[in-house]
Amino acid sequence: MHDQKQLRQEIIAKTIEYYQVRFAQTEFIPGKSKVNYAGRVFDELEMVNAVEASLDFWLTEGRFSEEFAEKIADFLGVDNVLLTNSGSSANLLAFSALTSSKLGDKRLKAGDEVISVAAGFPATVTPIIQYGLIPVFVDVDIHTYNIDIEQAERAITDKTRCIFIAHTLGNPFNLDAIMKLANKHNLWVIEDNCDAFGSRYDGKYTGTFGHLATISFYPAHHITTGEGGAIITNDSQLAKLVRAFRDWGRDCYCMGGENNTCGKRFSQQFGNLPFGYDHKYVYSEIGYNLKMTDIQAAIGSAQMDKLEEFCDRRRANFKKHYTIFSKYPQYFSLPSATENSDPAWFAFIVTVKSEAPFTRDGVTRHLNSKLIETRNLFAGNMTKQPAFVNKNWRIADKLDVTDQIMNNTFFLGTYPGLTDDMFEYERKIVDEFVISYTV
Amino acid sequence: MAIVKKYQVTIVAIENKIEGVYTLSFSSEKGFKYSPGQFLHLAIDPEFDGSGQWPESRCFSMQSSPSEEYVRITYAIKGDFTRQMEKTLKVGSEVWLKLPYGELFEQEHKKVRTVFIAGGTGVTPFLSLFTHSSFTEYTNPVLYAGFRDKTMNLYQDELETAKKINRNLIVNIIYQNEAGMIDIEKILTDNQTDCSFFISGPPVMIKLFKQSLIEKGVPASNVSTDDWE
Repeated sequence: MHDQKQLRQEIIAKTIEYYQVRFAQTEFIPGKSKVNYAGRVFDELEMVNAVEASLDFWLTEGRFSEEFAEKIADFLGVDNVLLTNSGSSANLLAFSALTSSKLGDKRLKAGDEVISVAAGFPATVTPIIQYGLIPVFVDVDIHTYNIDIEQAERAITDKTRCIFIAHTLGNPFNLDAIMKLANKHNLWVIEDNCDAFGSRYDGKYTGTFGHLATISFYPAHHITTGEGGAIITNDSQLAKLVRAFRDWGRDCYCMGGENNTCGKRFSQQFGNLPFGYDHKYVYSEIGYNLKMTDIQAAIGSAQMDKLEEFCDRRRANFKKHYTIFSKYPQYFSLPSATENSDPAWFAFIVTVKSEAPFTRDGVTRHLNSKLIETRNLFAGNMTKQPAFVNKNWRIADKLDVTDQIMNNTFFLGTYPGLTDDMFEYERKIVDEFVISYTV
Repeated sequence: MAIVKKYQVTIVAIENKIEGVYTLSFSSEKGFKYSPGQFLHLAIDPEFDGSGQWPESRCFSMQSSPSEEYVRITYAIKGDFTRQMEKTLKVGSEVWLKLPYGELFEQEHKKVRTVFIAGGTGVTPFLSLFTHSSFTEYTNPVLYAGFRDKTMNLYQDELETAKKINRNLIVNIIYQNEAGMIDIEKILTDNQTDCSFFISGPPVMIKLFKQSLIEKGVPASNVSTDDWE
């Protein structure tokens, strides 16, 4: 008869063996293997953690959630990390927190305006609409793909209360200018840091400048938990609000399985409830249930130990793409890192110039036919998406660059799973394609 | 409030100047992060190795300032858990802490003529603030601290430090054997009802003083207490 410790050790040993047999060896065959734009990169440590968490069978937030959140907090040097079930949920929760009546006059209310961009992912904008506020779309810069600061300043009115934008594909937006604007006009700033975990601006990690920031752990991102995300903030009141919105709106901050960590569970007065009503069941916000599971966090904790290496490889892969495409400056407009930044690139973004003898769709069709995966810059111009057509938003000025991106821009992956063989294959395919138009 | 973390700590000092009252200092390799007035959970279960479910623990106010290297708590023997602490904890013992918790001084309050009322070891969360640089933000703060007798006042050094950090701090020490209990009526006479009041000490004292302050016209939102069930 085995005891549980021995059984556990055997299961872990078999897990490592399984990883070696199932996942460790991958062979790239040019023209037959896919060059994905993204993918999960892991080894036996993630699988061991996932199995450990499964054997714990704690399931909801537990020891791995604590460990994962702590590693993120230490990495970024922030006070509060709230784990959630996706980056999109993180955006929703960050925004929801700012609608709380506990913020008094500073709370966001229906009808207020929020500065954002249309060239991005919908999850940055949908919470604004869901809460009845008005996104004000500002155009972006074609080199950094980030918000046009001058246009953003002109877009601010007496109704503007918040700036909610993403660091596009890992390239930090001009945080210096945005924070100055926010301070000048007393605006909230939410950094959608989902594509930029590990990017730096002025020597500091993105996600540590705004009042709130979000991270995504979807497999395409810098680290993964499958589905998953996090909200980060140094503001203790906002952290409390995010936690409340995440956990059904409840006032209590005990984790699953914990009770009375505040020591005042039965001795407080809330709302019109009788004195001493169980704090665990006091609801101070109209909230959701968007928590992460401990199995996800276990994977995330192992991934965190690889984040710096992953970011370095993303930076290196960006340079490799750059070498391939920079041979054709007459056809391709290539991305620039925002001044004073060091992006951990989510992707390598390319805009096909109008003078090129081919179109964006021509290039991407060709690359995809050769099994090199590409993506458009998400929603292109959000205002033209069916879900947004009849919604209440405002275009600040013109969205000329946004339209150009919708029509002429695509990106390739920079994820750490890309190999030199893949880049050599990409170089050959791109060269062949361009040459076919020029001879 | 900083993220709650588990710390495996080593006890680097134990002071036991009075029978049944101990001051413990803890060190941790990873460095503590907390705010003045917060509290911690202490677990002494020898089976706990940092994984699995958090074991039985007790709350203690942090007496140290967040800028200090070690976290310090003072406890009095009051039940089985603290008796077990007295029996098992030695210099060099390793125990687990989970912190920070609480928001005593993060709640909205006035920083002009703030009134701090403490009974016995209840003064410890106040010392955490008084010995921290943020204490300079308070204008003319006043402390009323009651002890059974002079021997029970273990905090004179920290109060001297506090007076150096905020030279306008008014310290009123009341020794029960000489002057009787802290007189809440007198405190109200000395201070306006629109001041912010903090009360920390035995549960009965907290309940009674809070009730008295509110009955005498202090808005409930101006009274904060450091108490646990």
